[in-house]
Amino acid sequence: MHDLKMIADKALAALKDNGADKAQCAVRFTETHEFNVDGGKFSLFRTLFDNSLSLTAVKDDKKGSVGINRLDDDSIAAAAVNCLAIADSGAADPAWVFAEKSENGFFTAGAPEADLDLLFDRTEELMRQIGEQFPLILMEQMIVTHKKRHSVFKNSLGVEYETLSGNYEISLMFSAHEGEKSSSFFGSGVITDRLDVPFMELGTIREDLENVSKQLDTQPLEGKFTGVAVFPPSSLGTFIGSALGNFASDGTLLDGTSPWKDCLGKVVADPAITISATPLDERIVCGERFTGEGFRSENYDIIKGGVLESFMLSGYVANKTGLPRAKNSSYAIVMKPGETPYADIIAGIERGILVGRFSGGEPGTSGDFSGVAKNSFLIENGKITCALSETMISGNLGDLLKNVVAISSEVVCDGATVLPYAAFGGVTVSGK
Amino acid sequence: MLQDIITPHKHLLPGDAHAELRAQLSRSSRVTLLSGNLTANAKSEVSGVSARVYKNGVYGFSSMAECSDDAVRAVLKAADENARFMDRRAPAGKGPLTPIADGFRPLAADISDPDQKLYADFARAIDAYIAEKYPNLSSRAVIATSDSMEKLLITSDGQGGHTISPRSYMYVFLNSETTSGTPIELFEAYGGSGTFDLNFTDPAGLYGEIDKLYERLMQKREGVYAEAGMKTCILSGNLTGMLAHEAVGHTVEADLVLGGSVAAHSLGKVVASEKVSLVDFAHTALGVEAPLPVYLDDEGTPATDTEIIKDGVLVGFMNSRESADHFGMKATGHARAWSFSDEPLIRMRNTAVLPGTDKLEDMIASVDDGYYFISTNNGQADTTGEFMFGVCMGYEIKNGKLGRALLDTTISGVAFEMLKTVDMVSDQMTWTSSGFCGKKQPMPVGCGGSDIRCRVMVGGR
Repeated sequence: MHDLKMIADKALAALKDNGADKAQCAVRFTETHEFNVDGGKFSLFRTLFDNSLSLTAVKDDKKGSVGINRLDDDSIAAAAVNCLAIADSGAADPAWVFAEKSENGFFTAGAPEADLDLLFDRTEELMRQIGEQFPLILMEQMIVTHKKRHSVFKNSLGVEYETLSGNYEISLMFSAHEGEKSSSFFGSGVITDRLDVPFMELGTIREDLENVSKQLDTQPLEGKFTGVAVFPPSSLGTFIGSALGNFASDGTLLDGTSPWKDCLGKVVADPAITISATPLDERIVCGERFTGEGFRSENYDIIKGGVLESFMLSGYVANKTGLPRAKNSSYAIVMKPGETPYADIIAGIERGILVGRFSGGEPGTSGDFSGVAKNSFLIENGKITCALSETMISGNLGDLLKNVVAISSEVVCDGATVLPYAAFGGVTVSGK
Repeated sequence: MLQDIITPHKHLLPGDAHAELRAQLSRSSRVTLLSGNLTANAKSEVSGVSARVYKNGVYGFSSMAECSDDAVRAVLKAADENARFMDRRAPAGKGPLTPIADGFRPLAADISDPDQKLYADFARAIDAYIAEKYPNLSSRAVIATSDSMEKLLITSDGQGGHTISPRSYMYVFLNSETTSGTPIELFEAYGGSGTFDLNFTDPAGLYGEIDKLYERLMQKREGVYAEAGMKTCILSGNLTGMLAHEAVGHTVEADLVLGGSVAAHSLGKVVASEKVSLVDFAHTALGVEAPLPVYLDDEGTPATDTEIIKDGVLVGFMNSRESADHFGMKATGHARAWSFSDEPLIRMRNTAVLPGTDKLEDMIASVDDGYYFISTNNGQADTTGEFMFGVCMGYEIKNGKLGRALLDTTISGVAFEMLKTVDMVSDQMTWTSSGFCGKKQPMPVGCGGSDIRCRVMVGGR
């Protein structure tokens, strides 16, 4: 086992010795155990022992970064020389950020030690339950993993964090089959630090298997209508991620193309919408404890009651734009539930679509989206009716956020996000 | 260059099972200029060893981020134990893999790893050209990037080799707005197989290409939305290549066939018009080196071409050694791994729709009311063959002539239905190779094709 603190000290010293004005390093050891199922059968068991060392240095306001995975003295020394050479090749920019020392810490999170026998048993149990309860389902691939991570982060301003964490990940890709009939494939997954609950009952795994089993017989939509689109947590996460990525993140604020660039403190969404980035929420498994720039992570609201409370900016882009830095790296998205039960939302829709998965290009900064509604159902007169094929949906992400029909009182936690079911109006649904 | 630390350990490969032992060094470099701001300037180098052991139909795998004798022994031991665990807990009861002949492919040529300054200087020169010549853009991005995989492989069959696969690219993104204020973007990737210093010797060599990209962006500023519905269209080689990869190629990867893809029921059947033939080339395509040549896969199989569709009939799958045994086909070198810590998966190499005999101008002249779609910025497909591609550049065709440029739209359909509508195929090929295919692991792939005339669903606005 490597002494990660000693390696971090060596790396920082090497960067300083080579002339860095400021420097940081992150060293990590990861041990992975992974069971694979392919075509419905167990196929592979993997065990991986991995290291990584990332070095960042700034000299004369020029920044360079190097990543290696060899931790011997010669490799660290060579990487430090390389890092400064890369910095020298760059352009001076005073906006680069290294966190000042505030409160160092040692963090433990999740389940660092794997119970591989129980993990295999739970995987076998899920395969058996799927066979018994969802006989039409063919598991294209299932990957069940435990990862143990031990890492040390240090910078030249005295910041030091050590983390020991571990978690299980369950990832499924499957479709339904009967004779030559086949549904579209669907992906489902969760992150967890517990093995006391059957995998079938985690996240939306059971619901996803049920829905896909009903998608063998699909019908193309005839014509076109503008109506309500209901997004379950899996596809809602995709849309929220696209909207926030286009409107509130580093890239579009730095190049000035975000349509929300002048909207801080202003209404950008329906009052029912509150979206937060909360890595310290106990429902988030192994949430971030510090950012890549070395700041301690804190929970924060991105949109609160429809008002844009914060952009999701790194310290670098905050310095470039004069806008405030976000309090974490904004991976752990939590959306506040509404007051309407999911069943009542469906019951209240005259004509709409339940969007299981969106297959389309990443919307541009305009927020316009257009793509195929995969694994989706038509909603008519308050009921989910037929599964759809060759049906497209289109609209605008910004408009969507302002056009909330209802947000469910239920939320689903998959270990990485906590999201409700949400219904939005004004979505164009078109068939052949 | 990788030192050969694995051949001396060949005697440690388990005698009662098939095994592979691999050492790998992967490098990447990236410089990103976002509207003149250097937002990324980074280099990565990772190496290690891995072993995979096959026992009675199940695999054990292990890797370690060290290139040492101890690491080789450790991964062989762990992979063997993992294979035995699986054979005990989830027995598949299969026999041994069909052996492949002895052999070793030596390294053809070593490569240099250029200084990062070369990337940064080249990117700055391109950015300065754009900033000075086209100051009216709303934003721009220039990315200089490269990656390479160097692998040393031995297998218990006695087959192995030493290979290096470098590639390098310049990406240019140009952004503007339509007259009504809608943001628009076009991008292009330049480069291909080879190291950055050999592919990019003079920034001025790209200026003409950037001028063409800008010209198209300005046409797009005045663009119109495509009309939604089923249309007669011409897809450029870029889109045909995307179709070959996403909507056909994945469905004929044997692991996805076993997972229930549409191709499971289509072998030997007509899946396209007789004008359509599709091949996954290994290292040489139509008499020249393929965009990303593969000579040996990571199971030790020498790579040869795989015929997928011949004159409209589905004739083959892409296989690993195990799936080739299952389907009674020949393994042709598709099992590839991205990093030292990745196991080989069935992957495409250079997948393409073969050229026909039609002239593009005749194809355009043959369309009364349709579209010519020339660039795509994304594409997704299902194992049913249902696809959706984003189209970021195209033109109307009215009465046999190109008309106004188009704003972003989408096309969609079901591959084995849409390909039956192909009635013209041009005599020219277009290849792309800058992207990654995503399937548990990333993997560089080439895809290509000719212009095709077909009926396809257009998404409109």
